[in-house]
Amino acid sequence: MATVTFEQATRIYPRSDRPAVDALDLRIEDGELLVVVGPSGCGKSTSLRMLAGLEEVDTGAIRIGDRDVTDAPPKDRDIAMVFQSYALYPHMTVEQNMGFALRLAGVGKAEIAQRVAEAARILDLEDYLQRRPKALSGGQRQRVAMGRAIVRQPQVFLMDEPLSNLDAKLRVQTRTQIAALVRRLGTTTVYVTHDQVEAMTMGDRVAVLKDGLLQQCDTPATIYERPANVFVAGFIGSPAMNIVTGEAVDGGVRVGTSVLPVDRDRLSRASAGTGRVTVGFRPECLDLGGPGDGVPVVVDVVEQLGSDAYLYTTPEGVQAGVGGSGVVVRIDPRQVPVPGQTVWLRTREDSLHVFDPVTQARVD
Amino acid sequence: MTITLPGTGTTEVRPVGRAADGAGGRARKGRGGKSGKAGPVTYTVLTLTALVSIFPLYWTVVAGSHTNAELAASPPPFLPNASLFDNFAAALDQAPIGKAILNSVLVSGAITVGTVLFCTLAGFAFAKLQFRGRGLLLALVVGTMMVPTQLSVIPLFMMIADLQWVNQLQAVILPTLVSAFGVFFMRQYLISALPNELLEAGRVDGASTFRIFWSIVVPVARPAMAVLAMLTFLTAWNEFFWPIIALTTANPTVQVALAGLGSGYVPQQSVIMAGTLLGTLPVLVVFTILGKQIVGGIMQGAVKG
Repeated sequence: MATVTFEQATRIYPRSDRPAVDALDLRIEDGELLVVVGPSGCGKSTSLRMLAGLEEVDTGAIRIGDRDVTDAPPKDRDIAMVFQSYALYPHMTVEQNMGFALRLAGVGKAEIAQRVAEAARILDLEDYLQRRPKALSGGQRQRVAMGRAIVRQPQVFLMDEPLSNLDAKLRVQTRTQIAALVRRLGTTTVYVTHDQVEAMTMGDRVAVLKDGLLQQCDTPATIYERPANVFVAGFIGSPAMNIVTGEAVDGGVRVGTSVLPVDRDRLSRASAGTGRVTVGFRPECLDLGGPGDGVPVVVDVVEQLGSDAYLYTTPEGVQAGVGGSGVVVRIDPRQVPVPGQTVWLRTREDSLHVFDPVTQARVD
Repeated sequence: MTITLPGTGTTEVRPVGRAADGAGGRARKGRGGKSGKAGPVTYTVLTLTALVSIFPLYWTVVAGSHTNAELAASPPPFLPNASLFDNFAAALDQAPIGKAILNSVLVSGAITVGTVLFCTLAGFAFAKLQFRGRGLLLALVVGTMMVPTQLSVIPLFMMIADLQWVNQLQAVILPTLVSAFGVFFMRQYLISALPNELLEAGRVDGASTFRIFWSIVVPVARPAMAVLAMLTFLTAWNEFFWPIIALTTANPTVQVALAGLGSGYVPQQSVIMAGTLLGTLPVLVVFTILGKQIVGGIMQGAVKG
């Protein structure tokens, strides 16, 4: 077990003028499960591969514990990696797949057998040890890939979207198992995903990347409650946070024909220089008010999920679908309005997120 | 240490038996379904193709089992006769066929092992390893395919003579231990059949490049290696031009020995055919052994697209 530290780590691919990972500063504590999340091309897999030694580090450094591993080959880093495609050796049985790294390391046959058997017991793979990967289901292959990592007892686990090839139901089940397993083993883990639900449910902390730049790294609750900028606010949460930019007026921000109340202090700081303010509010932080009580919106679509219902609406005075101007509202599924109906939304002032429209940064 | 995970017992997507049944069901559907059923036209075309393909071998057997006079009759015989073993004996008597077969097995075997090994190594390097000048080197290798063998015969013979290898088997083995076609063939196969993640998994597991080659690349490349082995063995077995220059009838390969059989004022067609049949048998054996691998290799390539 060890800490992992990225110190201004940068990777620029050949024939590219923009860094894939740009001066990444990140410290992962001993035994922590850190989830790196972001959209495609944000540099999350590249950062993981830099840590694995599969990608060069152009500038900066990477440390595992006290050791500088920036230029060390993968085999000298004491890491184990679970790949997106699992990368199981097709000609080897499950047992041989799991024991391959130990054989290379010169571990004795008896110890290999004992460690493989223990991993197989943990992962419920005991009945499949003599099978080849092609004779396993997706979920079983995923567990073999996990087993291959576990038997090595490394200092750090690296996981590159290990659930993305599973169907939705199995993904939910397996993510709980991985999180529980990693916490029981107490091994430092870096987990990369593009799925923000996975990030929020699994991570001790979540690091959000965009265009190779670290946007925010904090606990899931903090990231959700206090997103550092407009990108994080919009990326974390499903459905996404409603984000609108409007003119700052006395008492709030004008949206369509109405005014969203924002306190004077944040309003003046966020609108300095431009007279405009970006505000965000989550779908669950809106209440339906009576006629005339709140911001009038027209219901476009109603999504009934059983436990909840989501209204996709357009504020009155705003042309539907223009500039992502729609507002999503989570409501009680037992009292849903019909499409085309006008309803009034009340925002809770304490749940309103205010951002500078120029820098996109959060204003507190 | 045992860790009980929530829901572990229900992780299975489906019982193994059902999974196997499902796969079997799909396979049966594929074979027995309307789209997979061959009609009479297909059978007719396939039968004709098979007959046309097998006829030269059949004619070798027929011609090799008759006397010269019977072969010259009109219409010629179309069924095998009893003279096959007499003609075998005559062929073995007139030319050192036994020694030639042994030489050809040695030469073709050595060339096949060398070509498959070196071409797989080079193909792996060109397909998966990053090094400066890779594209240029590959272009040079492929470019050598455009140089006719005949152009290099004189300098090659001078080198062989300098080494005092004339009439020695190494004279026909060493110049063909690696082929540009083989390198390109293995490169193309490995590019599509060997995912980069498999190599990266090997590196993370602590394997050296050569260990990755031996433990991961070779097993994955086995179907293509079998195809290359088959093609190389056939080419080496049938090679005539360079062996007849480098070797003599005192130490021949099969083709050189058969050329000796065919010489003389009145070539004995039946003896030549019997000798040819003797020379073809080892190739048939190799094909029988590697046939399954070859079909597997062709199928695997097709599936992987």
